[in-house]
Amino acid sequence: MRTFRFSRKNLSIPYVIFLAVFVVIPLFVLVYYAFTDRDGHVSLRNFIGFFTDPNTLGTLFYSIVIALTTTLVCLAIAYPTAYILAKSRVKRKSAMLLVFILPMWINFSLRITALKEILTVLEENIAYYPFLNAVIGMTYDFLPFMILPIYTTISRLDPSLIEAAKDLGANDVDAFFKITLPLSVPGIVSGVAMVFLPAMTNYVVLDMLYNSTYIMGSLIGSYFAAYNWNGGSLIALILLLLICVFTYLTRNLEDEDQRAGGGALL
Amino acid sequence: MRKSVFGKRALAGILAGIIAVGAFPVTAFSAKKKDDVIRLRVCNWEEYIDFGDWDEEETIDLPSADIIGVNAMWKDYEDWYYETYGKRVKVEYSSFGTNEDLYNMLTLGDEYDLVCPSEYMFMKLMDEGKLVPLSEHFYDTSDENNYYARGISPYLKNIFDRSEIGGESWSKYAAGYMWGVTGIVYNPEFVTEEEASTWKILGDPKFKRRITIKDNVRDSYFAAVGALKHDLLTDPAFTSDPEYLKKLEDEMNDVSPDTIQSVQDYLQDVKNNAYSFETESGKADMITGKVVANLQWSGDGVYTLDQADDVDFLLNYTVPVEATNVYFDGWVMLKSGIDGDADRQHAAEAFINFVSRPDNVIRNMYYVGYTSVIAGGDDPLIYEYADWNFSAEEDEEDTIEYPLGWFFTGKEDDEDYILTAPSDCMNRQLRAQYPTKEDMARSSIMVCFDNETNEKINQMWINVRCFNLMDVPVWVWILIVLAIIAGIVLYFRAKKKKVY
Repeated sequence: MRTFRFSRKNLSIPYVIFLAVFVVIPLFVLVYYAFTDRDGHVSLRNFIGFFTDPNTLGTLFYSIVIALTTTLVCLAIAYPTAYILAKSRVKRKSAMLLVFILPMWINFSLRITALKEILTVLEENIAYYPFLNAVIGMTYDFLPFMILPIYTTISRLDPSLIEAAKDLGANDVDAFFKITLPLSVPGIVSGVAMVFLPAMTNYVVLDMLYNSTYIMGSLIGSYFAAYNWNGGSLIALILLLLICVFTYLTRNLEDEDQRAGGGALL
Repeated sequence: MRKSVFGKRALAGILAGIIAVGAFPVTAFSAKKKDDVIRLRVCNWEEYIDFGDWDEEETIDLPSADIIGVNAMWKDYEDWYYETYGKRVKVEYSSFGTNEDLYNMLTLGDEYDLVCPSEYMFMKLMDEGKLVPLSEHFYDTSDENNYYARGISPYLKNIFDRSEIGGESWSKYAAGYMWGVTGIVYNPEFVTEEEASTWKILGDPKFKRRITIKDNVRDSYFAAVGALKHDLLTDPAFTSDPEYLKKLEDEMNDVSPDTIQSVQDYLQDVKNNAYSFETESGKADMITGKVVANLQWSGDGVYTLDQADDVDFLLNYTVPVEATNVYFDGWVMLKSGIDGDADRQHAAEAFINFVSRPDNVIRNMYYVGYTSVIAGGDDPLIYEYADWNFSAEEDEEDTIEYPLGWFFTGKEDDEDYILTAPSDCMNRQLRAQYPTKEDMARSSIMVCFDNETNEKINQMWINVRCFNLMDVPVWVWILIVLAIIAGIVLYFRAKKKKVY
């Protein structure tokens, strides 16, 4: 027996196995199911069914609008927060950051149950407005995922860039829009990627908030509950393609370094 | 070539190791067990059997016996089987969350010998030929260990005998375990009994946002049909029809396109009227007072009322006048698990008999809260338990007679089986645990629909729950088009700017 060596090749073995078993093979299964019918014949039935039914299309539309709104609301809250955090001169910045990450450490079902109670205290049950209810729930759940990458990006900006801008006559507002904002785009993109897709699919949040209008995730769940693996797989595939398109469109905006930084912090 | 040698050999080694470690105990055990220990794999609903571990003071003190659960039911069964039949059996007990989960588990190749799904699921399994029929001996009432055959309520036995799928009666494959009917739990402070006694309450605008319904297409469908056909179902001409039972079943299982469409429309209204579609939360929401009525299975109804009593909050239960869905959970043996093994089948049938032994029935009923199909036959224990639970205190003056003969002996007015209960029992736990014979007279099973119908009904449910694209107002479309145009313009302008 030869001695084990910590070469790149050897060290990657566990991950390669993991990748094959839990990512690549399931992906093939997914595609197989999406384009076959109940009896295993290749068919476009699911595909045509999805794109001709106003209810499934409506759900796609509805989910996208929910996800977009959630993302925008998250961005509107997260960006100023992250900006203030990153720029603040408080010594214990990490303690402040903790306040925002802390919710992530509390089990989400507990958080959502608490949110539900708060919403019902407002007498009008907000679940009666499914859209508003969904946006509130999703925003509450995903906000930290937006704050962190933006915070990381902004806090890493070289202060000398802003000093230079000011030396050249820019006021604070100009400096922000011409320097800070464009340079923080990679953080925004990471944040959006982390909020957008889950907000389209995380139906457990809605179930717990008594929201009875389906989103894409609930649709997958309901197909699976009716043993319709094919319909469910197709929807998962559509979501996958959506995310691919998103990644493709934003490929120039993200840089690897920033992403790694954001990921490490998470 | 060092690397490649390492790669292949190590990988093979690791794999072989995994396989060896994984396979060792299985082969070792199965080789041994074949000889002397029967392995019985039982899969039941979660929390649906006595797990034992009762406190001393929980002992149920009945005239004929004291009942207490010390060990888990299946452990007691192992001992009992050894004492009775002289063979060792090892029960592997596990549970499932929904009928659909169980079915999916079976499709994916999980092996069980004995499972306990609801009636429509065992009908589906029957129809697909996945079950082993119960042996003739199982129904032999002369064997005193055949507690099931000797103890099942004659009324329910009749339902099991007459309900069929594919020309075969349920009794051939399935032995009942727990049963119940669907009803309405309501808060008498806000809802009158009359209002709660109809499925129409679900769409009643008076209780807007104060009512919950099950997040489950079958229960919702049944309730919606009940509400839609209210006039027909309560028409005396219909209820006095000699073919009433048969006709009722046909009406409640009506899946004509028109009915499906009107159920969809009705449920869409209910969706806008109800507080929520729920699976578990309805019970808690009743007790905290968030909602004033909810569609409930009778077993959960008992639980909800009990919980409310604990905090001195009064809730009532009633069964709608149109019709009620009588449902069963039943034990069936799977071909894939039993696999022709006569010993194992014997152990499986003995398991059904053991949980049908009156003292065990009471333990399970006490623990689970649902009602067993077992009436006890000659053994008075189960009636004593009902009496212990529900009869009025001796000094109570305001009482009524609550006949239970229909369940215990099949004779409706059997004098030995008339409970003297507090007069409010008609809206309380007693009626949820043992419905009246009038409730049962308008009960209907819900059949197992074929795949095509199921698909239609599931589609109907999706239509109810989904946002319809046609509902998007015109101004939203205009806004979207404008946004896209703006996006494209901005994109090109940004591109141009980059020139300098």
